[in-house]
Amino acid sequence: MLRIEHYSKTYPGGKKAVDDLTLHVRPGEIYGFIGHNGAGKTTTLRACAGVMDFTEGTIAIDGHDVKKDPVGAKRVTAFLPDNPDLYEFMKGIDYLNFIADLYDIPGAQRTADIAQYGDAFELTGNLGSAIGSYSHGMRQKLALISAFIRRPRLLILDEPFVGLDPAASHIMKGYLADLCQSGSAVFFSTHVLEVAEKLCHQIAIIKDGRLVKCGPTEQLVGDSSLEDVFLELEGDK
Amino acid sequence: MKKFFALLKVSVKSMLLSSVSNSRGRGRKKAATGVGAIVLIAFLGLYMSGLYSTMLMQVLSPVHMEVLVFVFMGMAALVGGLLFTAFAVKGVVFGGKDNDLLLSMPVSATALMASRVTAIYFENLLFSVFVLGPAGAVCAFMTQSGVGHSVLFWVRLVVAVLALPLLDTALSVLFGALVAFLSARVSKGVLGQNIVMALYLVAVFWFAFNLSGMIEGLAANAAGVKESLSWAAPILWMADGIMGDWVKLLLFVLCCAVPFALVVFGLGRVYRKAVTAFAARSARSDYKLSAQSASGQKKALLLMECKRLFGIPMYFWNSCLGLIMLVAAGVAALVMQHDLRGFMAMVGDALPVMPLAALVMGFCLSMCVIAAPSISLEGKYLWILREAPVDEKSLLRLKTGFQLLFSVPCTLAAGVCLTIALELSAADGAVLLLAMLLFDLGHAAFGMLVGLAFPKLDAVNETVVVKQSLAVFLGMLVPMAALGLCALLYWLGGMVSAWAALALPLALLALCAAACVLILAKKGPAMLRAL
Repeated sequence: MLRIEHYSKTYPGGKKAVDDLTLHVRPGEIYGFIGHNGAGKTTTLRACAGVMDFTEGTIAIDGHDVKKDPVGAKRVTAFLPDNPDLYEFMKGIDYLNFIADLYDIPGAQRTADIAQYGDAFELTGNLGSAIGSYSHGMRQKLALISAFIRRPRLLILDEPFVGLDPAASHIMKGYLADLCQSGSAVFFSTHVLEVAEKLCHQIAIIKDGRLVKCGPTEQLVGDSSLEDVFLELEGDK
Repeated sequence: MKKFFALLKVSVKSMLLSSVSNSRGRGRKKAATGVGAIVLIAFLGLYMSGLYSTMLMQVLSPVHMEVLVFVFMGMAALVGGLLFTAFAVKGVVFGGKDNDLLLSMPVSATALMASRVTAIYFENLLFSVFVLGPAGAVCAFMTQSGVGHSVLFWVRLVVAVLALPLLDTALSVLFGALVAFLSARVSKGVLGQNIVMALYLVAVFWFAFNLSGMIEGLAANAAGVKESLSWAAPILWMADGIMGDWVKLLLFVLCCAVPFALVVFGLGRVYRKAVTAFAARSARSDYKLSAQSASGQKKALLLMECKRLFGIPMYFWNSCLGLIMLVAAGVAALVMQHDLRGFMAMVGDALPVMPLAALVMGFCLSMCVIAAPSISLEGKYLWILREAPVDEKSLLRLKTGFQLLFSVPCTLAAGVCLTIALELSAADGAVLLLAMLLFDLGHAAFGMLVGLAFPKLDAVNETVVVKQSLAVFLGMLVPMAALGLCALLYWLGGMVSAWAALALPLALLALCAAACVLILAKKGPAMLRAL
C-alpha cells in the first residue's frame, strides 16, 4: 500500500532530516513509526502525504508515485498532522462537506458516514458551531471524522492520540482496526509505546533520520517490551 | 519598567516583522523588504502631505491663516491613523496568539496591555510624522510671518507630532475593544462587526468629504472656517500651539495624554478579563444532521474562499473597500450626471474625461487586494490544501479567479455607469472597459504572484496579513504605480497622435497582464510547492 524506497530529505543548509529510508506498509496493516523528538518521523509522514517535498528516493501509495502523480496519491490517502489546524471561520459541518467535496464523496455516503463517526465521537451536536469555538479535543475529533469519511486506502496519522480523551482514543483504535480489515492500511507515529505495542502489526524505529529497526511487533519486541527495545536502540539503557 | 520594555520589544518586533516575508526567509532579504515597505509608505505619505500642505499654504498664507494648514493636516493624520490602526487593534491588542503564554508569566496585565498599545502608538506615530512633518517643512518655506524659521517652532511641532498619536491610539483601542466585544458576545458576531465597520467607514468618508468642502471655502472665509471647527478644539489647540501658543499646546498634549493614560490603565486593569471574555465562544450542541448534498471541487474551494472573505470582517473591508468605492463612484456619477456634465462643460475640451475616469477606476481597483493575502491567509491551514487532491495550478487559478469574480462585475457596472454619466462615445466606453478589464486581470495575477513571493504564513492573526503584510502593500501600490505609468504614456502618446495616446497605455496594460498571467502559470505551482 505504501512503498518508501531510499527516501532522503535534506533541508536548505545541508541538514539531513531523513537518510535513505526504505519501508513498506502492506494492505491491512497498522504500521507504527516511533523515534525520539527530531528523529524524522513527521518529515517522513508529511512527505508521504504529499504535504512536503523531498530530495531523494521514491514514495508510492497504492501504486501512485507521490511526485509523479500527486493528485492520484492524495485521492486514496488521508493525512492528519499532530496539531490539525482547521478553518476557524467554518462550521464543523461545512468543513466536513468541504473535505467531502474535494474527494468527490456522494451526498448519501457522506451523510451516512458523518452521522456514524459524528455520533461515535459525540460531535454531531456541535457540527453546527464555528470551528473557532471548538476545544482542542473537538478539533482533533473533527479532523479524524474528516479522515474517516474519505474511506482512505492509506491513513497517515501524526501523533493521533494527543488531545483525545480515553473514550475517543478507544473508539479511534476500533475504527483503525475496521479500516485495516477492509483492506486499507494505517501508518502512524506515536510516543505512546504501550499503544503502539498493542495496536501495531509492524513497527519501525527511526533514529537521527535513519531506520534502525523494523519488523512485525512480536518479533521486534520478543520477550521484553517495546519500551525496553526502544530505549536500548536509543542508547539510553 | 524593565519587564515593560522587554514586552514592548516583543510587540514592536512582531509588528515590524509582520510586514516582511515569512520568518523562514533569509535575514538580509527580510530586512530589505521591510525597509522597502516602510520607504514606500513614507514616500507616499510625504508626497500626499507635501502636496496638500503646499496647496493649502498657497491659499492661506496671503490671509495669514497658516494655522489652518496644521488643523487640516492634524485632522488628516488623526483620521488616517484611525483608519490604519483601528481595525488592527482587535487582533494586535486583544487577539494575539501569544496571549496565553504572556499572561501566564510574572508580568502585570497592565504592562502587557501597555506594551501592545504602545506598539499601536508607534504605528500611528509614523502617520503623524509623515503627515505633520511635510506641513512643518512647507510652513518653514512658505509662511509670510516667518514663524517656521525659528527653532522653537520645530520643538513645538515635534511635541505635537509625538502627542497626536496618543489620541489616535486611545480612540483606536476603544474602537478595537468594541469590535472584539461584538464579535464575542453577539450571536451574529461577524454581521455585527461588519455593521460597525460600515458605520465607521461612512463616518470617516462623511468627515473626509466635509473636509474637502471646508478647504474649498477657505480662500473666501478662512477665519469663519476656523470658527466653525470649534468642535475639533484639541486639533485647533494643536495648530495654535505649533504656531506659538505654548498654553494651547500644553492643553492639546493633556487632551491626548489623558485619554491615552485612561485607556491604558483603565483597560489594563481589566485586560485579563477582557481577553478571556473576547476569546470565550462556546460551541452549541443542538445541531441536527440532515441529508448533505455534494458539489464539485471547484465549487467547494470557491465557497471556502467566500466564507473566508465574508467570515473575516478585516479581510472583507480591507480587500473590498476599493470595489465598494468603485461601484459607489459609478452610481454617484449616474445620479449626479447633470452636475458632472455642467462641470465638464465649464472646463471645456481641455479635460481628458475618459482617461481620468480610467484613472479613478484603476485607483479604486488597486485597493481590491483579495488575491495578494490569499496564500498568507492559508497560513497554518495550508496543510489542508496541500493534502487535498487538487493540483497547484488549479488552486492558483481558482484563487486568482476569485478576485476576478468580484472585480470584473464591479468594473463592468462602474464602467457602464461612468460611460453613461460622462456621455462617452461607444468607442471610448469600450476602450475604458477594455483597459480596466486588462487591469483587473493583471492586478489579480500580480497579487497572487506577490502573495507567493512574500508569504506571511506565521502571522499571529489575520489582521497582520491583511493590514501589514508586504504582499498586500505591493499588491496595492505597484498597480497604482502602473496607473501612473499609463498616465505618463498617455501624455507622451498625445504628443504623437490621439490614437497613440490610447494605444500606448492599453499596450502596457495588456503586456503587464500577459506577463503576470504567464509567470504565474509557469512559476506559480513551484513557488506554492516550495512554501
